[in-house]
Amino acid sequence: MASNDLVLTNVTKRFGGLVAVDDLSFTVQQGQIYGLIGPNGAGKTTVFNCITGIHPCEEGSVLWCGEEIRLLPTHKIVQMGIVRTFQTIRLFGQMSVAENVMSGRHIKSSQSWWNGIIHTPSSKRDETANWQVVFEMLDFFDLTEFAASTVSSLPYGIQRRVEMARAMAVEPKLLILDEPAAGLNDNETQTLIETIYRIRDKGITILLIEHDMDLVMEVTEYLTVINFGSKIAEGNPGEIQENPAVIEAYLGSEDDDF
Amino acid sequence: MMKKIQVIGYPLFFVVMALLPAVLDSRWLVVATTFVIFTIVALSQDVILGKAGMFNMGQALFFGLGAYTTAILNSVYGWPMLATLPVAIIIPALFGIVLAGPIIHLRGDYLLVVTIGFNIVFIQAVQNNLGGVTGGPNGIFGLEMLQIPGMGAFQEAAPYYAALFVLLLTLFIIRNLESSKAGRALHYLREDDLAAGSIGINTRVYKIFAFGVGAGIAGMAGTVFANQYSAVSPEAFNFLQSVLFFSIVIVGGSSVPGILLGVFVMFVLPEIFREFATWRYFIFGFAMIFTMILRPRGLWPAKFGRIPKAFLEKGGNHGQQ
Ligand SMILES: Nc1ncnc2c1ncn2[C@@H]1O[C@H](COP(=O)(O)OP(=O)(O)O)[C@@H](O)[C@H]1O
Ligand SMILES: [Mg+2]
Repeated sequence: MASNDLVLTNVTKRFGGLVAVDDLSFTVQQGQIYGLIGPNGAGKTTVFNCITGIHPCEEGSVLWCGEEIRLLPTHKIVQMGIVRTFQTIRLFGQMSVAENVMSGRHIKSSQSWWNGIIHTPSSKRDETANWQVVFEMLDFFDLTEFAASTVSSLPYGIQRRVEMARAMAVEPKLLILDEPAAGLNDNETQTLIETIYRIRDKGITILLIEHDMDLVMEVTEYLTVINFGSKIAEGNPGEIQENPAVIEAYLGSEDDDF
Repeated sequence: MMKKIQVIGYPLFFVVMALLPAVLDSRWLVVATTFVIFTIVALSQDVILGKAGMFNMGQALFFGLGAYTTAILNSVYGWPMLATLPVAIIIPALFGIVLAGPIIHLRGDYLLVVTIGFNIVFIQAVQNNLGGVTGGPNGIFGLEMLQIPGMGAFQEAAPYYAALFVLLLTLFIIRNLESSKAGRALHYLREDDLAAGSIGINTRVYKIFAFGVGAGIAGMAGTVFANQYSAVSPEAFNFLQSVLFFSIVIVGGSSVPGILLGVFVMFVLPEIFREFATWRYFIFGFAMIFTMILRPRGLWPAKFGRIPKAFLEKGGNHGQQ
């Protein structure tokens, strides 16, 4: 087991009587583009919430770089290099695109709390250096022209890009994307695919949930399929497409995405 | 356009404010001094309520704590006014931090009720002459006022200038806050707590930080308030005062011009219409009703998108400085 893997072992998450994630295990290896798929309500987002500490799971273990992160608070997990985006975009709506991306620099900034009251030459240098990174990130995501625009006034597709730029500004080791193509048109989806490859080329591991099967089959190298919280299959895209249990699950759920 | 207003706006504001005592009689000088002090408290409330979005309805507690700290140190221990200032910042700030710790996870309406409770407990404590130093319901009188050397005949305006100086200091802090990691963190957690946590911000720490800074600035205002009247008494810091500071931020909006407008509408206007006796408080009520309906984010809301010029001007070829 390489040290920078994400290893879920027998993870179970309950909401009252509902078992949202049931005894789930899988391993995301460093450098992979890994897919997590399943019909609506299968528990995919809940798995992400367990990994990122938003809804810690009661049973099982979540190992990251060899450390148990199951019960750590969200911000600690981010500091260890795991950053996520949300299925329903969660940006700082009244603020500009640049300020949103700047939020990703929070943990990279060397400023102390008291620099909020008094600046020093080194806190000013840090401030400028972080804006510099923000504008590099805006360039990477082709968002420079929107730098000063209020985020909530922008179309959906651009907001999705801003959210990814914000996550990337944290310089994660593992980027977790929850349905990054939801609400995007064909052009935007194509750009997204290219972006995912460019991110991977920076050496960042990617774990994604996606409904768009064409996208999943094209970009992911390995997949886990879940239904009703438990794993029904895993393998590379070719194997998954042939798997009768997977076809069954998707037909049964009246989900015509497949 | 907006930039120009700001560049000349602030120096112009302070020049006008500095010359004001020359044209005001003593009653209006008192109003002007109180205007400046209330502006400082409202700015401190804005750090907690406007920037960090926490429904704190007990800001008068920190204001009072600063005033009482100054009054007690001066009357009981004989400290000079100016020497009490650092203590009157630190004690409220520490209280802010300690009180915020167990409550900042509470949702808006619960937080509101708890902070009202804190305010009431504080008033009860000082009214009942806690520790035998608060002077009970009458408060503390006969404080030695801050003298400004070389002001001669103008000494009457000394409390006003002391307040104005503290306002300048407060605006300096607010400006630094706005262009720092800590200040932005407050905006982020107000906009979306969960999203802020998901990019690594320890939201708990920064909520407590907001209370600490807000309480410290309010404490500083307390010192100049005690200095203005050379006295302190409980009713100046009761729950209704907290309602005033809360309303100023909500009506004015979370920005410096907004706060100034808010204090003007909620405090100075009623003073101008003093001849209409208690009817003047109609303004107060109507201001709250109509701004909330017509301008829910306040008369002059917070402006975002303040990106350092060096980056904005470069546009496409980002930030090659
Ligand atoms: N915070 C929550 N509280 C209660 N139930 C939840 C919560 N989040 C998700 N669930 C339930 O868990 C199940 C899995 O949901 P989710 O993980 O969002 O599915 P997916 O992302 O695969 O569509 C659903 O039945 C959903 O109603
Ligand atoms: Mg989901």
